[in-house]
Amino acid sequence: MAAGTSSFATPRPARRGVADTLGDLGWRGLLEFSGIYLALGIVLLQTVYPLLWVLFGSLKTKTDLINNVWGPPQELVFQNYADAWRIAGIGSRIVNSLSITAAALVVLVAVATPCAYALARLKFRGRAVVLAVTVAAMLVPPQVMAIPLFLVARDLGMINNRLGLAVIYAATSMPLSVFILRSFFLTLPADLEDAARVDGASRLAILTRIMLPLVKPGVALVVIFAFIEIWNDFFLAFLLLRKPELQTIPLGLVAFFQQYDSLWNLYFATLMITTLPVIIIFLLMQRQFIAGLTAGAVKA
Amino acid sequence: MPTDVLPEQAKAPSPGRKPARLGAPRRPETGDGAVAFWMILPAGILFALFYVWPFLHGFWLSLTNWDGFSEPRFAGLANYWRLARDPIFLGAIENNLIFVLSVLVLKNILGLALALLLNRALLGRAFFRAAAFIPVTMSFVAVGLLWSWIYNPVFGLLNAGLDAVGLGALKQSWLGDAHIALYSVIAVDVWKWLGFHAVIYLAGLQTIPTDLYESATMDGASRVRRFWHITLPLIMPIVFINTILGLSGAFVRNFDIVYVLTKGGPNHATEVALTYMMTKAFQDGQMSYASAMGYVLFLIVGLACVLLLALMRRSRLAV
Repeated sequence: MAAGTSSFATPRPARRGVADTLGDLGWRGLLEFSGIYLALGIVLLQTVYPLLWVLFGSLKTKTDLINNVWGPPQELVFQNYADAWRIAGIGSRIVNSLSITAAALVVLVAVATPCAYALARLKFRGRAVVLAVTVAAMLVPPQVMAIPLFLVARDLGMINNRLGLAVIYAATSMPLSVFILRSFFLTLPADLEDAARVDGASRLAILTRIMLPLVKPGVALVVIFAFIEIWNDFFLAFLLLRKPELQTIPLGLVAFFQQYDSLWNLYFATLMITTLPVIIIFLLMQRQFIAGLTAGAVKA
Repeated sequence: MPTDVLPEQAKAPSPGRKPARLGAPRRPETGDGAVAFWMILPAGILFALFYVWPFLHGFWLSLTNWDGFSEPRFAGLANYWRLARDPIFLGAIENNLIFVLSVLVLKNILGLALALLLNRALLGRAFFRAAAFIPVTMSFVAVGLLWSWIYNPVFGLLNAGLDAVGLGALKQSWLGDAHIALYSVIAVDVWKWLGFHAVIYLAGLQTIPTDLYESATMDGASRVRRFWHITLPLIMPIVFINTILGLSGAFVRNFDIVYVLTKGGPNHATEVALTYMMTKAFQDGQMSYASAMGYVLFLIVGLACVLLLALMRRSRLAV
């Protein structure tokens, strides 16, 4: 919590030593207090105002948008949303994004979990090699292999193929996911498993019935990471989906933007429709989200 | 976002091995071998198809001369020699380096500053933290479109803002002027990721024991001294984590944002290796040449990561 540098939130009785003014809520403390809030206010302004601006813009008429850059709309034009939805074909893009992301996450969890379990818990020859390869793969971003990946996907009939793209997403998210899940499996006590083995449970039964419920937080973390990555991805979708009717949300946004000239208020509306749900989900789940994010990074 | 990479490597030798050594007589438990094989197989297949095959295939391709249709002809290192003399590619690499360096410096300094602000018993702390994190959840495309409107010379927020505060003289064609376009793009990348790095710094700051500060204050250390002598040394591992995370991201994940904002223009002023690679491959059909770029980029990223990790290991001993 408060790292000892500030104490204005919990006013303490005045100290004897006047020299130590830092902790006191004098006018100096008040100045510091307002300084901090001023700085935070600027942070808030530069992250939230642009979004508010898009919200305003999405409800303006086009002339209102040009003449009144800053403020809220003169009148609320909800028709923009209906028009944007229709012209940009948002409905089908949402369906594409949802189905591709869902399929990718299912494949990812189904494939990465047993692999992570084996790497954490089973003893077999070559384990160190598999682990080293996993780590090495995390250092090879799929972007640098874009051209050969495209050719491989073409040979496998995975261009313009939603399921194919989902499988490729699962593959590119796999090394990191295996790594995260393995570290979760490693934290579980070994005797749990030993007891089950004595009772004659198979490895697969142990994994699905005993271990999996215990690593749920790990699975959740992997799913959150992969979801953001896949849902927001432009690059691989751009590379592998070439038909308009298969496009995901990011592709659709760019296409709409490039295809029509200066339908600004409608652009704003499409951005609101596609971005707001994710922001709302984040705001509802932010505690788990930020906890999961930082748990991994800061254990060092 | 390989957040878990670093802590894990530190304690790499897996505890799974110990019991085997203790329970001596049962020699290598190859009994697990078959189970392990089947559990790893699905992941192995995906890995072979979408990592190993493309990686090797692409490398072979980079040694040939192939237009995408006819039979590839072996050409040795010709593509790589050509890259070394291609001014656009060299410019793109230079832009990449400028991009990476500026982004890393800005994300670390601003991220730490924001984390220090938030690391206090403030009213509405969770609110400010969430607000700062919102851009992280947005896609690069959404962020890119948003900023292409903010930078828009006609009704964009930025120029209108400068006008409103009487600084109209500073108005720019933010993405159209070759001298500043790259920095405009960099600012957008920093804007998107600032909250992410701040949250990681914040978590790091919260692991620093409070009594360290209390005793330092007792000894009369000023706030600045406490920052330099307590906060900064103890936060160094987090600086490295943030740098590693930012490093690989800034090298290979800038395609989306550059494509949406400028497509590499004006006149290649914001061209980065990935945008040039995609142009060469899919507009000019030079698959081999584009593949070679991928490997050069891979080498640069790999080298930077290895250097940073080595530095990290060394200074961890020192701290």
